[in-house]
Amino acid sequence: MSTEKRSIAEKTAQLDELVSWFDSDAFELEQALDKFKEAEKLAAEIEKDLLALKNEVNVIKKKFDEA
Amino acid sequence: MDESSLLLSVSDFIAVTNQTLEYAYPTVSVEGEVASFKVNQGKYVFFDIKDQGGSIGCFMTVWQLRVPIEDGMKVIVTATPKLTQWGKFSLTVRAVRPSGEGNLKKSFELLRAKLEKEGLFALERKRRLPEIPHHVAVISSTDAAGYKDFIKIVNDRWGGLKIDVAHVQVQGVGAPDQILRAIKYFNEQEDLPEVIVIIRGGGSADDLSAFNDELLVREIAASRIPTLVGVGHEVDVSLADLAADVRAATPSNAAQLLVPDKNEIIRNVRHRVTLLLPRTIQALERGQQNLRDTLETALAAIRRRYDWYDDHIRYNRRVLSELDPRKVLARGYALIRGDLTVGKAIEIEKSDILIKAEVTHVDRKA
Repeated sequence: MSTEKRSIAEKTAQLDELVSWFDSDAFELEQALDKFKEAEKLAAEIEKDLLALKNEVNVIKKKFDEA
Repeated sequence: MDESSLLLSVSDFIAVTNQTLEYAYPTVSVEGEVASFKVNQGKYVFFDIKDQGGSIGCFMTVWQLRVPIEDGMKVIVTATPKLTQWGKFSLTVRAVRPSGEGNLKKSFELLRAKLEKEGLFALERKRRLPEIPHHVAVISSTDAAGYKDFIKIVNDRWGGLKIDVAHVQVQGVGAPDQILRAIKYFNEQEDLPEVIVIIRGGGSADDLSAFNDELLVREIAASRIPTLVGVGHEVDVSLADLAADVRAATPSNAAQLLVPDKNEIIRNVRHRVTLLLPRTIQALERGQQNLRDTLETALAAIRRRYDWYDDHIRYNRRVLSELDPRKVLARGYALIRGDLTVGKAIEIEKSDILIKAEVTHVDRKA
């Protein structure tokens, strides 16, 4: 799955996983730098995605003043 | 009979009078105190409203009576004046609302007790709002400051939402029905919103009384879409608030409860990643320390082994040194070389001299 197509929630979940890895028994110094770079990249993507999202406000045409 | 006067049947006179009244007063709002309140057959409501100068009979159906009233309560009725076929003048009431803060409060408490008894406000009925909604319905007046605050805060906090807005009246006689219809409308949609937000900014108790309308409160409680209600200021509590799944103190607070703050999330994400580097450095330092400890342990073992050899060699050297014949000679002893037979020549070595001698006799020791 390409990084660009993933949702913010998926990216956040992946970031959670990466952060947990640093605290887990699976932690290995040899992999730490790569994992750190990956986390940094994900954080930047999440920030970019969050800032790019705009709301779509639609005032519906229906009138509610009569049944 | 006066030739200029109009001759009418009784029925025609009543009809003409009603036409005239309808033309002159299509709708009137009359304020007075309720007297002789009664409900007939569970359908028809009769009461009088009066003041010091007079009294008028009022008629309405129970479905039009949206707030509890009782004798002695001051109310404002919105009605059409009518002359009945029995010649009785009355007001056909479309809406009635309590007048004055005391009466509004009394009516509020009566309805609150009734609905509470039915369990409409029970905590176990409350549903959670989606953590991050995608499709939101908003019911408010798009001209109201409260609505504008809400939209601004939602836009500041989050993005990617589809917000469908039903523009309705949020105060006055027509407001409860409009809000109620909007709730029904959203509940009937194929693409169902995940939450309905009902908002209105601050106002007087009378302005906010629309949110204490019985049918509206029941509609909120019955909504299959979870509801978030933010009406008035922090201190204002409406029955709509109590029936909602989640109550917001104000429209701005409703926006805060509806969506997370992306700026806070960004800060949090950055912070979490920032913490990873010290953690890695810490692990690296731990690794280095372990390596240092291992090397030190190895070095200490080598040192111990070296010391052992060193001590051993020193000991052997000492022992060897003690065995050195030169040391014995130095203590005054002599070394004899040669055949110890009488007449034979021998060599005697002392520490500092060598002596040549001849054996003159040999005796065995006793």
